[in-house]
Amino acid sequence: MTELALSSDLAQRIREALSLALQVPLDEITPDLAFGDLPQWDSMGHMEVMMRLEEFFGVEINADTIATLTSFEAIRQYLENHPSGATS
Amino acid sequence: MNLSMLKIYPAVAIPVHLIGEVHSKLAYVDERIVSAQISPAGDQIVLELKQPLADGEQLRLEEKVQRVIVSMAQGAIRPKVQVLEDHLDRPTPFTTDPLPELVHRGEISREADGIYTLGPLLTRLIDAFERRFLDLAASFSAQPYRFPTLIPARYLERVGYFRAFPHSLSFATHLTPDLDQIDAFAENAACDEHGNLNVPMQRFAPIQTLLSPAVCYHLYFTLADQILPQQGVTATAVGNCFRYESLNLQSLERLWNFTMREVIFVGSKDFVLENREVARQRMQGVFEEIGFAYRVESANDPFFIGEFRKQAAFQSAFQLKYEIRARLPFKNSTLAVGSYNYHQDFFGRHLNIRLPDGTPAHTGCVAFGLERIAFAYLAQFGFDQTRWPPSMQEILQ
Repeated sequence: MTELALSSDLAQRIREALSLALQVPLDEITPDLAFGDLPQWDSMGHMEVMMRLEEFFGVEINADTIATLTSFEAIRQYLENHPSGATS
Repeated sequence: MNLSMLKIYPAVAIPVHLIGEVHSKLAYVDERIVSAQISPAGDQIVLELKQPLADGEQLRLEEKVQRVIVSMAQGAIRPKVQVLEDHLDRPTPFTTDPLPELVHRGEISREADGIYTLGPLLTRLIDAFERRFLDLAASFSAQPYRFPTLIPARYLERVGYFRAFPHSLSFATHLTPDLDQIDAFAENAACDEHGNLNVPMQRFAPIQTLLSPAVCYHLYFTLADQILPQQGVTATAVGNCFRYESLNLQSLERLWNFTMREVIFVGSKDFVLENREVARQRMQGVFEEIGFAYRVESANDPFFIGEFRKQAAFQSAFQLKYEIRARLPFKNSTLAVGSYNYHQDFFGRHLNIRLPDGTPAHTGCVAFGLERIAFAYLAQFGFDQTRWPPSMQEILQ
Protein backbone atom coordinates (compact mmCIF):
# COMPACT_ATOMS: atom_id res chain seq x y z
CA MET A 1 0.00 0.00 0.00
CA THR A 2 1.46 3.38 -0.95
CA GLU A 3 1.77 6.22 1.54
CA LEU A 4 -0.82 8.19 -0.40
CA ALA A 5 -3.31 5.34 -0.32
CA LEU A 6 -2.68 4.77 3.38
CA SER A 7 -3.20 8.43 4.06
CA SER A 8 -6.40 8.49 2.03
CA ASP A 9 -7.70 5.38 3.75
CA LEU A 10 -6.83 6.90 7.11
CA ALA A 11 -8.64 10.12 6.25
CA GLN A 12 -11.73 8.16 5.25
CA ARG A 13 -11.70 6.20 8.50
CA ILE A 14 -11.30 9.43 10.48
CA ARG A 15 -14.31 10.84 8.64
CA GLU A 16 -16.31 7.75 9.58
CA ALA A 17 -15.20 7.94 13.20
CA LEU A 18 -16.07 11.63 13.45
CA SER A 19 -19.39 11.11 11.70
CA LEU A 20 -20.35 8.39 14.16
CA ALA A 21 -19.06 10.24 17.21
CA LEU A 22 -20.77 13.50 16.36
CA GLN A 23 -23.81 11.87 14.76
CA VAL A 24 -23.65 14.01 11.64
CA PRO A 25 -23.72 12.91 7.98
CA LEU A 26 -20.41 11.89 6.45
CA ASP A 27 -20.44 14.81 3.99
CA GLU A 28 -20.32 17.30 6.88
CA ILE A 29 -16.94 15.92 7.95
CA THR A 30 -14.52 17.95 5.88
CA PRO A 31 -10.69 18.02 6.19
CA ASP A 32 -10.81 21.56 7.64
CA LEU A 33 -13.33 20.68 10.37
CA ALA A 34 -12.34 21.68 13.91
CA PHE A 35 -13.72 21.68 17.43
CA GLY A 36 -16.58 24.18 17.69
CA ASP A 37 -17.33 24.28 13.95
CA LEU A 38 -20.39 22.08 14.41
CA PRO A 39 -22.81 22.40 17.34
CA GLN A 40 -22.25 18.68 17.90
CA TRP A 41 -18.50 19.11 18.34
CA ASP A 42 -18.74 20.68 21.79
CA SER A 43 -17.14 19.41 25.00
CA MET A 44 -19.33 16.29 25.15
CA GLY A 45 -18.97 15.73 21.41
CA HIS A 46 -15.22 16.07 21.71
CA MET A 47 -15.09 13.31 24.29
CA GLU A 48 -17.25 11.13 22.03
CA VAL A 49 -14.68 11.76 19.30
CA MET A 50 -11.86 10.72 21.64
CA MET A 51 -13.65 7.50 22.56
CA ARG A 52 -14.34 6.67 18.90
CA LEU A 53 -10.69 7.25 18.03
CA GLU A 54 -9.66 4.82 20.76
CA GLU A 55 -12.16 2.29 19.46
CA PHE A 56 -11.44 2.73 15.73
CA PHE A 57 -7.67 3.03 15.83
CA GLY A 58 -6.64 1.21 19.01
CA VAL A 59 -4.82 4.25 20.36
CA GLU A 60 -4.84 5.28 23.97
CA ILE A 61 -6.03 8.83 24.48
CA ASN A 62 -4.78 10.59 27.59
CA ALA A 63 -5.35 13.99 29.16
CA ASP A 64 -2.52 15.51 27.11
CA THR A 65 -3.75 14.31 23.74
CA ILE A 66 -7.39 15.28 24.40
CA ALA A 67 -6.42 18.93 24.36
CA THR A 68 -4.44 18.67 21.12
CA LEU A 69 -6.75 16.59 18.91
CA THR A 70 -9.11 19.45 18.22
CA SER A 71 -9.31 19.31 14.43
CA PHE A 72 -9.56 16.79 11.62
CA GLU A 73 -6.03 17.68 10.57
CA ALA A 74 -4.60 17.34 14.10
CA ILE A 75 -6.23 13.92 14.41
CA ARG A 76 -4.89 12.84 11.02
CA GLN A 77 -1.36 13.92 11.88
CA TYR A 78 -1.52 12.25 15.29
CA LEU A 79 -2.71 8.96 13.85
CA GLU A 80 -0.14 9.06 11.04
CA ASN A 81 2.64 9.52 13.55
CA HIS A 82 1.26 6.97 15.95
CA PRO A 83 2.20 3.39 14.98
CA SER A 84 -0.89 1.67 16.33
CA GLY A 85 -3.02 4.38 14.79
CA ALA A 86 -1.51 3.92 11.33
CA THR A 87 -1.69 0.17 11.21
CA SER A 88 -4.68 -0.97 13.21
CA MET B 1 -33.42 2.71 63.53
CA ASN B 2 -32.51 -0.90 62.66
CA LEU B 3 -29.33 -0.28 60.64
CA SER B 4 -28.02 -2.85 58.20
CA MET B 5 -24.72 -3.25 56.34
CA LEU B 6 -24.34 -4.20 52.70
CA LYS B 7 -21.00 -5.10 51.13
CA ILE B 8 -20.59 -4.63 47.37
CA TYR B 9 -17.67 -5.60 45.13
CA PRO B 10 -17.44 -3.16 42.20
CA ALA B 11 -17.83 -4.64 38.72
CA VAL B 12 -14.79 -2.57 37.74
CA ALA B 13 -12.18 -1.42 40.21
CA ILE B 14 -12.60 2.22 41.15
CA PRO B 15 -9.40 4.11 40.27
CA VAL B 16 -7.88 5.77 43.32
CA HIS B 17 -8.27 9.23 41.81
CA LEU B 18 -12.02 8.64 41.47
CA ILE B 19 -12.79 7.26 44.94
CA GLY B 20 -13.86 10.64 46.32
CA GLU B 21 -16.03 11.41 43.29
CA VAL B 22 -17.75 8.01 43.34
CA HIS B 23 -18.24 8.25 47.09
CA SER B 24 -19.99 11.61 46.76
CA LYS B 25 -22.35 10.18 44.11
CA LEU B 26 -23.34 7.20 46.28
CA ALA B 27 -25.32 9.69 48.38
CA TYR B 28 -27.79 9.94 45.48
CA VAL B 29 -28.23 6.23 44.80
CA ASP B 30 -30.97 5.37 47.27
CA GLU B 31 -32.57 7.24 50.13
CA ARG B 32 -32.16 4.22 52.39
CA ILE B 33 -28.37 4.66 52.36
CA VAL B 34 -27.15 6.27 55.57
CA SER B 35 -23.44 6.23 54.82
CA ALA B 36 -20.93 4.65 52.44
CA GLN B 37 -17.30 3.62 52.68
CA ILE B 38 -15.01 2.72 49.77
CA SER B 39 -11.85 0.73 50.46
CA PRO B 40 -8.56 2.55 49.70
CA ALA B 41 -7.94 0.15 46.79
CA GLY B 42 -11.37 0.89 45.33
CA ASP B 43 -12.35 -2.78 45.28
CA GLN B 44 -14.99 -2.85 48.00
CA ILE B 45 -17.92 -0.69 49.08
CA VAL B 46 -19.71 -0.95 52.40
CA LEU B 47 -23.10 0.72 52.65
CA GLU B 48 -24.89 1.43 55.89
CA LEU B 49 -28.65 1.20 55.31
CA LYS B 50 -31.61 2.42 57.33
CA GLN B 51 -33.05 -1.09 57.45
CA PRO B 52 -32.31 -4.61 56.18
CA LEU B 53 -33.47 -5.18 52.60
CA ALA B 54 -35.29 -8.12 51.07
CA ASP B 55 -33.25 -10.05 48.49
CA GLY B 56 -34.94 -8.43 45.49
CA GLU B 57 -34.52 -4.92 46.90
CA GLN B 58 -30.90 -5.63 47.73
CA LEU B 59 -30.25 -6.74 44.14
CA ARG B 60 -31.84 -3.58 42.78
CA LEU B 61 -29.76 -1.43 45.11
CA GLU B 62 -26.58 -3.27 44.11
CA GLU B 63 -27.46 -2.78 40.45
CA LYS B 64 -27.80 0.96 41.01
CA VAL B 65 -24.45 1.14 42.78
CA GLN B 66 -22.77 -0.79 39.98
CA ARG B 67 -24.35 1.58 37.45
CA VAL B 68 -22.70 4.52 39.18
CA ILE B 69 -19.33 2.79 39.28
CA VAL B 70 -19.31 1.57 35.70
CA SER B 71 -20.53 4.89 34.38
CA MET B 72 -17.85 6.85 36.21
CA ALA B 73 -14.91 4.48 36.30
CA GLN B 74 -14.97 2.33 33.15
CA GLY B 75 -12.61 3.83 30.62
CA ALA B 76 -12.00 6.85 32.85
CA ILE B 77 -9.10 9.02 31.76
CA ARG B 78 -6.77 9.89 34.57
CA PRO B 79 -6.88 13.67 35.06
CA LYS B 80 -3.81 15.78 34.58
CA VAL B 81 -3.32 17.45 37.96
CA GLN B 82 -1.61 20.78 37.65
CA VAL B 83 -0.62 22.71 40.76
CA LEU B 84 -0.28 26.45 40.16
CA GLU B 85 0.50 27.41 43.76
CA ASP B 86 1.26 25.42 46.87
CA HIS B 87 1.24 27.24 50.21
CA LEU B 88 -0.23 24.42 52.25
CA ASP B 89 2.78 24.37 54.56
CA ARG B 90 2.31 27.93 55.80
CA PRO B 91 2.34 27.80 59.60
CA THR B 92 -1.05 28.51 61.17
CA PRO B 93 -1.78 28.54 64.90
CA PHE B 94 -4.97 26.46 65.21
CA THR B 95 -5.43 22.71 64.84
CA THR B 96 -8.88 21.73 66.12
CA ASP B 97 -12.29 21.61 64.48
CA PRO B 98 -13.88 25.06 64.88
CA LEU B 99 -17.41 23.70 64.51
CA PRO B 100 -18.09 22.75 68.17
CA GLU B 101 -16.82 26.13 69.33
CA LEU B 102 -18.96 27.90 66.72
CA VAL B 103 -22.01 26.01 68.01
CA HIS B 104 -21.05 26.67 71.66
CA ARG B 105 -20.73 30.40 71.00
CA GLY B 106 -24.03 30.55 69.14
CA GLU B 107 -22.10 31.63 66.05
CA ILE B 108 -23.91 29.14 63.88
CA SER B 109 -27.40 27.80 64.17
CA ARG B 110 -28.49 24.82 62.10
CA GLU B 111 -31.95 25.26 60.63
CA ALA B 112 -31.86 22.05 58.57
CA ASP B 113 -29.28 19.92 56.78
CA GLY B 114 -27.07 22.31 54.85
CA ILE B 115 -28.93 25.42 56.07
CA TYR B 116 -27.26 27.55 58.74
CA THR B 117 -27.56 31.04 60.14
CA LEU B 118 -24.27 32.78 60.91
CA GLY B 119 -23.52 35.01 63.89
CA PRO B 120 -21.52 38.24 64.26
CA LEU B 121 -18.01 36.77 64.18
CA LEU B 122 -18.56 34.80 60.98
CA THR B 123 -20.46 37.68 59.42
CA ARG B 124 -17.63 40.12 60.16
CA LEU B 125 -15.08 37.62 58.92
CA ILE B 126 -17.01 37.22 55.67
CA ASP B 127 -17.22 41.01 55.39
CA ALA B 128 -13.43 41.20 55.79
CA PHE B 129 -12.95 38.75 52.94
CA GLU B 130 -15.60 40.54 50.91
CA ARG B 131 -13.64 43.79 51.15
CA ARG B 132 -10.69 42.01 49.61
CA PHE B 133 -12.79 40.43 46.88
CA LEU B 134 -14.36 43.81 46.11
CA ASP B 135 -10.85 45.29 45.88
CA LEU B 136 -10.02 42.56 43.39
CA ALA B 137 -13.15 43.38 41.38
CA ALA B 138 -12.33 47.10 41.49
CA SER B 139 -8.83 46.40 40.19
CA PHE B 140 -10.52 45.17 36.99
CA SER B 141 -13.06 48.05 37.02
CA ALA B 142 -15.74 45.35 37.31
CA GLN B 143 -19.28 46.72 37.16
CA PRO B 144 -21.49 45.74 40.10
CA TYR B 145 -24.61 43.66 39.51
CA ARG B 146 -27.37 42.24 41.69
CA PHE B 147 -28.87 38.97 40.53
CA PRO B 148 -32.03 37.19 41.69
CA THR B 149 -32.01 34.09 43.84
CA LEU B 150 -34.47 32.41 41.47
CA ILE B 151 -33.60 31.35 37.96
CA PRO B 152 -36.00 30.26 35.21
CA ALA B 153 -35.97 26.56 34.34
CA ARG B 154 -35.72 27.41 30.64
CA TYR B 155 -32.44 29.23 31.29
CA LEU B 156 -30.83 26.20 32.88
CA GLU B 157 -32.26 23.96 30.17
CA ARG B 158 -30.67 26.15 27.50
CA VAL B 159 -27.16 25.58 28.86
CA GLY B 160 -27.57 21.85 29.50
CA TYR B 161 -27.56 22.17 33.28
CA PHE B 162 -30.23 19.50 33.77
CA ARG B 163 -28.06 16.85 32.13
CA ALA B 164 -24.86 17.86 33.87
CA PHE B 165 -26.05 18.47 37.45
CA PRO B 166 -29.56 17.01 37.95
CA HIS B 167 -28.71 15.68 41.39
CA SER B 168 -28.04 19.07 42.95
CA LEU B 169 -31.02 21.04 41.63
CA SER B 170 -33.37 22.88 44.00
CA PHE B 171 -36.83 23.67 42.70
CA ALA B 172 -39.06 26.62 43.54
CA THR B 173 -42.83 26.69 43.16
CA HIS B 174 -45.94 28.24 44.71
CA LEU B 175 -49.56 27.36 45.31
CA THR B 176 -51.77 27.44 42.25
CA PRO B 177 -53.53 30.80 42.22
CA ASP B 178 -56.92 29.42 43.19
CA LEU B 179 -58.81 30.69 46.22
CA ASP B 180 -60.10 27.26 47.25
CA GLN B 181 -56.60 25.79 47.08
CA ILE B 182 -55.11 28.68 49.03
CA ASP B 183 -57.82 28.52 51.70
CA ALA B 184 -57.39 24.76 52.04
CA PHE B 185 -53.65 25.22 52.44
CA ALA B 186 -54.01 27.95 55.02
CA GLU B 187 -56.34 25.83 57.11
CA ASN B 188 -54.60 22.47 56.86
CA ALA B 189 -50.91 22.97 56.14
CA ALA B 190 -48.69 21.38 58.76
CA CYS B 191 -45.36 19.61 58.94
CA ASP B 192 -44.99 16.01 60.08
CA GLU B 193 -42.30 14.78 62.49
CA HIS B 194 -39.78 14.69 59.63
CA GLY B 195 -40.48 18.28 58.63
CA ASN B 196 -42.42 17.27 55.52
CA LEU B 197 -45.24 19.61 54.56
CA ASN B 198 -48.51 17.65 54.25
CA VAL B 199 -49.60 19.23 50.99
CA PRO B 200 -50.35 17.20 47.84
CA MET B 201 -48.07 18.10 44.95
CA GLN B 202 -51.04 18.87 42.70
CA ARG B 203 -51.76 21.96 44.78
CA PHE B 204 -48.51 23.47 43.56
CA ALA B 205 -48.06 25.26 40.29
CA PRO B 206 -45.92 23.62 37.57
CA ILE B 207 -42.24 24.23 38.20
CA GLN B 208 -40.90 27.05 36.06
CA THR B 209 -38.22 28.29 38.41
CA LEU B 210 -35.34 26.94 40.42
CA LEU B 211 -33.08 28.30 43.11
CA SER B 212 -30.00 29.53 41.34
CA PRO B 213 -26.96 27.23 41.46
CA ALA B 214 -24.44 29.89 40.42
CA VAL B 215 -23.98 33.64 40.19
CA CYS B 216 -22.35 34.13 36.79
CA TYR B 217 -25.12 32.39 34.82
CA HIS B 218 -27.35 35.41 35.39
CA LEU B 219 -24.85 37.69 33.68
CA TYR B 220 -24.55 35.35 30.70
CA PHE B 221 -28.33 35.31 30.26
CA THR B 222 -28.37 39.10 30.58
CA LEU B 223 -25.92 39.25 27.67
CA ALA B 224 -27.69 36.63 25.54
CA ASP B 225 -28.32 37.52 21.88
CA GLN B 226 -26.10 40.59 22.13
CA ILE B 227 -22.89 41.81 20.57
CA LEU B 228 -20.37 42.76 23.23
CA PRO B 229 -18.50 46.05 23.33
CA GLN B 230 -14.93 45.92 22.05
CA GLN B 231 -13.47 45.95 25.56
CA GLY B 232 -15.59 43.00 26.73
CA VAL B 233 -17.61 42.91 29.95
CA THR B 234 -16.26 42.63 33.47
CA ALA B 235 -18.75 42.34 36.30
CA THR B 236 -18.98 41.37 39.94
CA ALA B 237 -21.85 40.15 42.08
CA VAL B 238 -22.53 38.25 45.25
CA GLY B 239 -25.48 35.92 45.51
CA ASN B 240 -27.17 33.01 47.19
CA CYS B 241 -26.47 29.69 45.49
CA PHE B 242 -28.15 26.36 46.03
CA ARG B 243 -26.70 22.91 45.44
CA TYR B 244 -28.37 19.98 47.13
CA GLU B 245 -25.75 17.52 48.34
CA SER B 246 -27.84 14.85 50.10
CA LEU B 247 -25.77 12.92 52.66
CA ASN B 248 -22.72 14.98 51.75
CA LEU B 249 -24.14 18.10 53.41
CA GLN B 250 -21.77 18.74 56.26
CA SER B 251 -21.38 21.73 58.58
CA LEU B 252 -20.12 24.87 56.84
CA GLU B 253 -17.93 22.77 54.58
CA ARG B 254 -20.79 21.67 52.35
CA LEU B 255 -23.95 23.76 52.48
CA TRP B 256 -27.16 23.52 50.50
CA ASN B 257 -27.63 27.30 50.63
CA PHE B 258 -24.41 29.29 50.41
CA THR B 259 -23.16 32.59 49.09
CA MET B 260 -20.64 33.20 46.36
CA ARG B 261 -18.79 36.33 45.30
CA GLU B 262 -17.79 36.24 41.68
CA VAL B 263 -15.76 38.40 39.34
CA ILE B 264 -16.88 37.59 35.81
CA PHE B 265 -15.15 38.13 32.47
CA VAL B 266 -16.87 37.99 29.08
CA GLY B 267 -14.95 38.74 25.91
CA SER B 268 -12.27 37.26 23.69
CA LYS B 269 -10.35 34.14 24.67
CA ASP B 270 -7.22 36.15 25.47
CA PHE B 271 -9.22 38.70 27.48
CA VAL B 272 -10.78 36.00 29.66
CA LEU B 273 -7.66 33.89 30.14
CA GLU B 274 -5.39 36.85 30.86
CA ASN B 275 -7.80 38.31 33.41
CA ARG B 276 -8.30 34.95 35.07
CA GLU B 277 -4.55 34.64 35.48
CA VAL B 278 -4.12 38.23 36.71
CA ALA B 279 -6.90 37.62 39.25
CA ARG B 280 -5.08 34.54 40.51
CA GLN B 281 -1.84 36.46 40.90
CA ARG B 282 -3.57 39.30 42.75
CA MET B 283 -5.30 36.87 45.10
CA GLN B 284 -1.96 35.19 45.71
CA GLY B 285 -0.81 38.49 47.23
CA VAL B 286 -3.96 38.81 49.32
CA PHE B 287 -3.68 35.29 50.69
CA GLU B 288 0.00 35.79 51.47
CA GLU B 289 -0.79 38.96 53.39
CA ILE B 290 -3.27 37.14 55.64
CA GLY B 291 -1.11 34.03 56.01
CA PHE B 292 -3.68 31.69 54.46
CA ALA B 293 -2.52 28.10 53.88
CA TYR B 294 -3.83 26.82 50.55
CA ARG B 295 -3.04 25.32 47.19
CA VAL B 296 -4.35 26.13 43.70
CA GLU B 297 -4.75 23.02 41.58
CA SER B 298 -6.70 21.85 38.56
CA ALA B 299 -10.10 20.38 39.28
CA ASN B 300 -13.42 19.44 37.73
CA ASP B 301 -17.03 20.28 38.48
CA PRO B 302 -19.16 17.62 40.22
CA PHE B 303 -20.95 16.41 37.09
CA PHE B 304 -23.53 13.69 37.59
CA ILE B 305 -22.67 10.12 36.68
CA GLY B 306 -23.92 10.10 33.08
CA GLU B 307 -21.79 13.07 32.09
CA PHE B 308 -19.03 12.80 34.65
CA ARG B 309 -16.46 10.75 32.77
CA LYS B 310 -16.51 12.86 29.63
CA GLN B 311 -17.02 16.30 31.10
CA ALA B 312 -14.47 15.83 33.88
CA ALA B 313 -11.89 14.55 31.39
CA PHE B 314 -12.58 17.48 29.08
CA GLN B 315 -12.22 20.03 31.90
CA SER B 316 -9.02 18.39 33.01
CA ALA B 317 -7.51 18.17 29.54
CA PHE B 318 -8.17 21.82 28.77
CA GLN B 319 -7.33 23.01 32.31
CA LEU B 320 -10.61 24.88 32.54
CA LYS B 321 -10.95 24.91 36.31
CA TYR B 322 -8.54 25.55 39.14
CA GLU B 323 -9.65 25.32 42.74
CA ILE B 324 -8.31 27.23 45.72
CA ARG B 325 -8.06 24.47 48.30
CA ALA B 326 -7.57 25.71 51.86
CA ARG B 327 -5.91 23.54 54.47
CA LEU B 328 -8.13 22.20 57.23
CA PRO B 329 -5.52 21.31 59.88
CA PHE B 330 -7.98 19.50 62.15
CA LYS B 331 -8.62 16.79 59.56
CA ASN B 332 -5.36 16.97 57.63
CA SER B 333 -7.33 17.72 54.53
CA THR B 334 -8.26 20.56 52.20
CA LEU B 335 -11.48 22.34 51.31
CA ALA B 336 -12.28 24.12 48.05
CA VAL B 337 -12.98 27.75 48.98
CA GLY B 338 -12.85 29.28 45.53
CA SER B 339 -12.09 28.64 41.89
CA TYR B 340 -10.70 30.18 38.74
CA ASN B 341 -12.87 29.09 35.82
CA TYR B 342 -12.79 29.30 32.04
CA HIS B 343 -15.76 28.04 30.01
CA GLN B 344 -14.26 28.54 26.55
CA ASP B 345 -17.07 29.77 24.25
CA PHE B 346 -19.67 27.40 25.73
CA PHE B 347 -22.00 30.16 26.96
CA GLY B 348 -21.17 32.38 24.00
CA ARG B 349 -22.37 29.70 21.58
CA HIS B 350 -25.36 28.46 23.57
CA LEU B 351 -26.63 31.94 24.41
CA ASN B 352 -25.55 33.74 21.25
CA ILE B 353 -23.23 36.21 22.99
CA ARG B 354 -21.03 37.59 20.23
CA LEU B 355 -17.83 39.53 19.95
CA PRO B 356 -17.80 42.55 17.61
CA ASP B 357 -16.36 40.31 14.86
CA GLY B 358 -19.38 38.02 15.14
CA THR B 359 -17.65 35.06 16.77
CA PRO B 360 -18.94 33.58 20.04
CA ALA B 361 -17.70 35.26 23.23
CA HIS B 362 -15.62 33.41 25.77
CA THR B 363 -16.45 33.52 29.47
CA GLY B 364 -14.72 32.91 32.76
CA CYS B 365 -15.15 33.72 36.40
CA VAL B 366 -13.35 33.84 39.69
CA ALA B 367 -15.60 32.58 42.47
CA PHE B 368 -15.26 32.52 46.24
CA GLY B 369 -17.48 30.52 48.62
CA LEU B 370 -17.92 32.95 51.49
CA GLU B 371 -19.02 30.56 54.24
CA ARG B 372 -16.33 28.07 53.31
CA ILE B 373 -13.50 30.57 53.28
CA ALA B 374 -14.56 31.96 56.66
CA PHE B 375 -14.77 28.43 58.06
CA ALA B 376 -11.37 27.49 56.65
CA TYR B 377 -9.88 30.67 58.09
CA LEU B 378 -11.18 29.83 61.57
CA ALA B 379 -9.91 26.28 61.15
CA GLN B 380 -6.42 27.70 60.52
CA PHE B 381 -6.37 30.67 62.90
CA GLY B 382 -8.91 29.84 65.62
CA PHE B 383 -10.85 32.17 67.87
CA ASP B 384 -8.06 34.02 69.67
CA GLN B 385 -8.03 37.06 67.45
CA THR B 386 -4.78 38.35 68.93
CA ARG B 387 -3.13 35.45 67.08
CA TRP B 388 -4.62 36.47 63.77
CA PRO B 389 -2.50 38.28 61.20
CA PRO B 390 -2.62 42.05 61.90
CA SER B 391 -4.40 42.75 58.63
CA MET B 392 -7.30 40.50 59.65
CA GLN B 393 -7.70 42.06 63.10
CA GLU B 394 -9.66 44.83 61.40
CA ILE B 395 -12.82 42.90 62.11
CA LEU B 396 -12.31 43.59 65.85
CA GLN B 397 -12.76 47.29 65.22
